[in-house]
Amino acid sequence: MSLPSIALPGQLLGPTTNFLPGPGTHIHDSQVYASVAGTVVSKPTPNAKSPPLLCISRQPRASSPGILGPSSGSGSSILPEVSSTVLARVTRLGPRFASLEILVVDDNVCNHSFPAQIRREDIRATEKDKVKVEECFRIGDVVRAEVISLGDQSNYYLSTAKNELGVVLAWGEEGRLLQLISWKEVRDPVTGRKETRKVAKPFT
Amino acid sequence: MNTDRRRTNAPSAGTAALVFARTVKEPGYLQSLRPSRTREPDELRRIFLQTNLIPSATGSAYYEIPLPRSPTTSTLIPSTSTLKILASVQGPKPLPRSAPFSPTLLLTTTVKFAPFATRHRRGYIRDSVERDLGVHVESALRGVIIGERWPKSGVDVVLTILEADEDGWWGDGNAGKGDGSGWGLLNVLAGCITVASAAIADAGIDCVDLVAGGVAAMVKKGEGKEGEVVKVLDPSPTDHKDIVAACAVGYLAGRDEITEMWMKGNVGAASDELVEGAIYASLGNLGVMKEVLLETLKSKIRAAGQEDVDQTKGSPPGDVEMTG
Repeated sequence: MSLPSIALPGQLLGPTTNFLPGPGTHIHDSQVYASVAGTVVSKPTPNAKSPPLLCISRQPRASSPGILGPSSGSGSSILPEVSSTVLARVTRLGPRFASLEILVVDDNVCNHSFPAQIRREDIRATEKDKVKVEECFRIGDVVRAEVISLGDQSNYYLSTAKNELGVVLAWGEEGRLLQLISWKEVRDPVTGRKETRKVAKPFT
Repeated sequence: MNTDRRRTNAPSAGTAALVFARTVKEPGYLQSLRPSRTREPDELRRIFLQTNLIPSATGSAYYEIPLPRSPTTSTLIPSTSTLKILASVQGPKPLPRSAPFSPTLLLTTTVKFAPFATRHRRGYIRDSVERDLGVHVESALRGVIIGERWPKSGVDVVLTILEADEDGWWGDGNAGKGDGSGWGLLNVLAGCITVASAAIADAGIDCVDLVAGGVAAMVKKGEGKEGEVVKVLDPSPTDHKDIVAACAVGYLAGRDEITEMWMKGNVGAASDELVEGAIYASLGNLGVMKEVLLETLKSKIRAAGQEDVDQTKGSPPGDVEMTG
């Protein structure tokens, strides 16, 4: 049976012996069905013996920002998942954790911000017991982090315990954007005053 | 009845429809205006459906049963009624801070009649009929959504009924109380299910199938008690003087499952036949819905392809055409 190029929810795609169900599909009576409307993509799996993975990519979202700001306009919405990389803004600092709001999940700008937390022991990979939250983040900083748990009723739990994770944008007391100068320091470009942060390693 | 003190309300008794002198003077004239079903018993009314029309919503759809093409223009009051429903889907979005942890998607369905939707003016606050309708639509949708794919999030389905099917012909007098709790309500429910399903598919929320609504009714043909009872699909309550029973279903064609059923009236032994008729009616709506969703999908893919071409050409971002 040949695959359709686009599918609607509930459309039969093929038996589970021929395909593996990927995102946007579901299994019913050992048949793979589509569960969202979109284009059908068949990806070969690295293991040559197993059948190809069937995915349905959601309708592409208009890349131009709508009149109501970015990510307005209908299209698929996105939720943070475990191990997805997010950009989040620090909203509150506590002695044991920092509170943040997730603004970007992977490459998608969220319609709504998601509340999140970084616990003190998840800030750094090493010397976890010597970490002080206020020496790593300040309110307003934008942090690149990884989701480690869907968390409790309100917060997602994030971690910055990797070199490439941490503060990517920081502002000083005068409101100036600070320069990232080392893995743990930022500098004001005018006054030259240094502050401490858990800085993300830039991509090379 | 709870009154709304914050707004300037219309007269609570509603406004009377125009009465022309001729209807009073000639006893037979009023009855000559009575509409009758010109369709075959198994012929559905044409519907109009469009998705993706509210820019700020994740998904949206508009459903309409338009007026027939050639209305008899001997009176100002339209003799048949129409149905206009707007659905918008907000989310999936994070749950409010106070809500307990939920491993699945929390579905909230709100149905609201516009104040001008029925012959009898409605309030701004949702009444029991609207809440009841919301529960029915929600149960129809709950059966198709795969909630486990969206943990810790909620989705709001908001249905606004801009014009509701009437419960009977206005000339019969009993339609004067037409508060939308009679036969027309089943048509409204079926329309709500269809349009909400289209909006959810437009929003890209995982569903096991498309659910479509449909209505069938048993109507008495001819006068008197011994009138023959026949089954009609998609009844327009204004066309029939005596509706014996009616049934609305939410039907999943791919799985042959019913997620929602509402039966009204005295069916007798023919309940299976009535449900089957409603299923046939829902299949008609499903056909339209599939066409519309495919059309929207294709136009989106085409628009995305166009954007890619624009980007490879290196055109300035200011020239991007606004869509949606």
